[in-house]
Amino acid sequence: MLEFRTQGYNGYSVKYSPFFDSRIAVAASANFGLVGNGRLYILGLTANGIVAEKWFDTQDSLFDSTWSEAHENQILTAGGDGSVKLFDITLNQFPVQSWQEHAREVFSVHWNLVSKDNFISSSWDGTIKVWSPNASASIMTLPTHSCTYSAAFSPHNPSILSSVSSDSHLRVFDLRTPASASNHLTMNVPIHTPSKPRMGAAAPVGVAPSEALTHDWNKYRDSIIATAGVDRLIRTFDIRMPNHGPIAVLPGHEYAVRKVSWSPHLSDILLSASYDMTARVWTDGSAMGVDNMKQENMLDDPMFHGGGREMGKMGRHTEFVTGVDWCLFGAEGWCASTGWDERVLVWDCRAIMQ
Amino acid sequence: MANQAPNKAQERLSQVADHMSGGGSASKKGKSSLLEKHADDVVVTCALRTPFTKGGKGGFKDTQASDLLHGAFKALLERSKIDPNLVQDIAVGAVLAPGGGATEFRAAALAAGFPVTTATKSLNRQCSSGLQACVDIANAIKSGMIEIGIGAGAESMSTQYGPNAVSEFSELLESHKESANCKVPMGVLSEQMAKAKGIPRSEQDAFAASSFQKAIAAQKAGLFDEELAPLTVKWTDPKTDEEKTITVAKDDGVRDGITPESLAKIRPAFAKDGSIHAGNASQISDGAAAVLLMKRSTAQRLGQPILGKFVQASIVGVPPLLMGVGPAAAIPPVLEKTGLNKDDVDIWEINEAFASQCLYCIKELGIDEKKVNPKGGAIAFGHPLGVTGARQVSTLLTELRRMKKQIGVTSMCIGTGMGMAAVWVAE
Repeated sequence: MLEFRTQGYNGYSVKYSPFFDSRIAVAASANFGLVGNGRLYILGLTANGIVAEKWFDTQDSLFDSTWSEAHENQILTAGGDGSVKLFDITLNQFPVQSWQEHAREVFSVHWNLVSKDNFISSSWDGTIKVWSPNASASIMTLPTHSCTYSAAFSPHNPSILSSVSSDSHLRVFDLRTPASASNHLTMNVPIHTPSKPRMGAAAPVGVAPSEALTHDWNKYRDSIIATAGVDRLIRTFDIRMPNHGPIAVLPGHEYAVRKVSWSPHLSDILLSASYDMTARVWTDGSAMGVDNMKQENMLDDPMFHGGGREMGKMGRHTEFVTGVDWCLFGAEGWCASTGWDERVLVWDCRAIMQ
Repeated sequence: MANQAPNKAQERLSQVADHMSGGGSASKKGKSSLLEKHADDVVVTCALRTPFTKGGKGGFKDTQASDLLHGAFKALLERSKIDPNLVQDIAVGAVLAPGGGATEFRAAALAAGFPVTTATKSLNRQCSSGLQACVDIANAIKSGMIEIGIGAGAESMSTQYGPNAVSEFSELLESHKESANCKVPMGVLSEQMAKAKGIPRSEQDAFAASSFQKAIAAQKAGLFDEELAPLTVKWTDPKTDEEKTITVAKDDGVRDGITPESLAKIRPAFAKDGSIHAGNASQISDGAAAVLLMKRSTAQRLGQPILGKFVQASIVGVPPLLMGVGPAAAIPPVLEKTGLNKDDVDIWEINEAFASQCLYCIKELGIDEKKVNPKGGAIAFGHPLGVTGARQVSTLLTELRRMKKQIGVTSMCIGTGMGMAAVWVAE
């Protein structure tokens, strides 16, 4: 396990470069992101451990970052002052572009993985904005009317994007639909809908809505989205049957889940980061040959659904774990995590998987 | 930034705090989540009871349990204005009725105006039968088996109390110690328990006197009026043997002027040196009660007024000889399940089977005696066995609303050694 200290800054997000297997960006904030500066670290994985190749300081906290899919040296940040900034890591100090439209903290930024020519940001102000790096103003504003912690493009379609927000809903927007009163919203799935009752298990009842903090599109199955948040459960949804409730529910985290990320290598594996100071690896039970032996015992909990299970837990962080990401290159288990303990850990999750 | 809120740090902090405090939906608990309103909550839209009258001499001494139940059903239909065709099931708790009263209660429902499509069952979990009936109906609604149901209780101790309530124990049962203990009379075992747990007669009498005083004050202030459904019955005057038609509109067991000193004069009933007597044990009574339950969404659709909701219940077993500790055993699990702290509960309706066991439970649980049975209890107005659990719902919800409080617990000990408790929220 490799380690780097983001001294004086509490980590909020970690992202592997889509171009280099040895480059990681970390968005961090002083004073736990409550007040003060932010810092974007560009870290290099070297034979001598992790080194900071560069960092950029910002006036306000940073909560997320996303690498440009089109330009290997460019990266976006989500700022506490409502700004979205584009940095070029070959330059020093200042961003090459800054967009200031959001009225409250920006909590996520995400680059279009297919067309690679636009990106989105989501904010506490209850909107998602679509931007082009070449335009000085946003192209489109999609309202969610609710603090939106996470927005992401589909990895399979350049026009489909999704979000989760504090109103406990997963929204899917299709930018190809005509602009109308619905603002391209094509699906609005209540995350707290209980899963369908099964034989031998009590029907889950009265699941209260709770803030959703993170979600991610499966990289192989184009209709599968994982969500998680304050209710500590990770759920997967199939957007082909949005009213069907979750197809898998994975309980285990002891506090709110801050980040989920599907593996770029295996279609059933995902990684999560939580306020319970752990990062965990899960299977959603969809892969062939996944052990179904425990299914009988799992039926005890009516919320447990889908045959998924926790495969391992990384407990080396000593504070809230806020970010995890998978390395896109090389062996299939390498990942990085960051948290409020001012540390970035790079580790191989195969070592903890059972 | 100009467009930032001035207390940004504070808001970010409370946001993170919210992330931490929000429970898992599977484990979401506690007072705040209990007070949330959801479409699938099981709610009470009408709860009422007939008056309770003294066994053997009160206003209902010549009235069958099924007729009392009929009266409660009629009043429920009239007050709630619910279309009887929509009621799918009725559960009636009754302890002494031969055959559980299953036949008479079905007949009573039909006579009261329910159509043949409304199912009726009777059930017997001793003194908690009325609560069990409400919980059964609530669970059937929760699971989707029915949409609208009635939990009820009916008991005529005047006509049915006696040795016939239990068949003779076989040799097999007699030869097993705990099993043989199931038939020790409740007064006798409560006497032993009071001794073993060190509840002196003076404390029992003080508790019983306060039950009478609270009940008479509540009766004078009209606090029972809302839950009471007066009933007109035939009554034979014991002096003249003349049959009269009377209307019973209030509990006739409640007596004025009871003090610990006046109770101290009564002779113990179960042992010469005992502490339990007629004045500090529950009264033998007749009565019926009914509670109309449905989902919140159904209530809203039908325009039914929502009095409160059923949250959760618990049932536990205790040694048969320590029957009286039932509430002390059943209440902690239901609080645990709902994530409530005992201080979150505004009113406790704990059945006063005997002052000794009720006092013991209050002490054992460490709850505030002022919050227990604010309008008196079974010592003052009676304990028609199968009715009490359903009676507590109307007594609790009306009082919570009057005091502008929200969370209540009903509980009772159960003969043969059990305890049951349920959490309710008034709205």
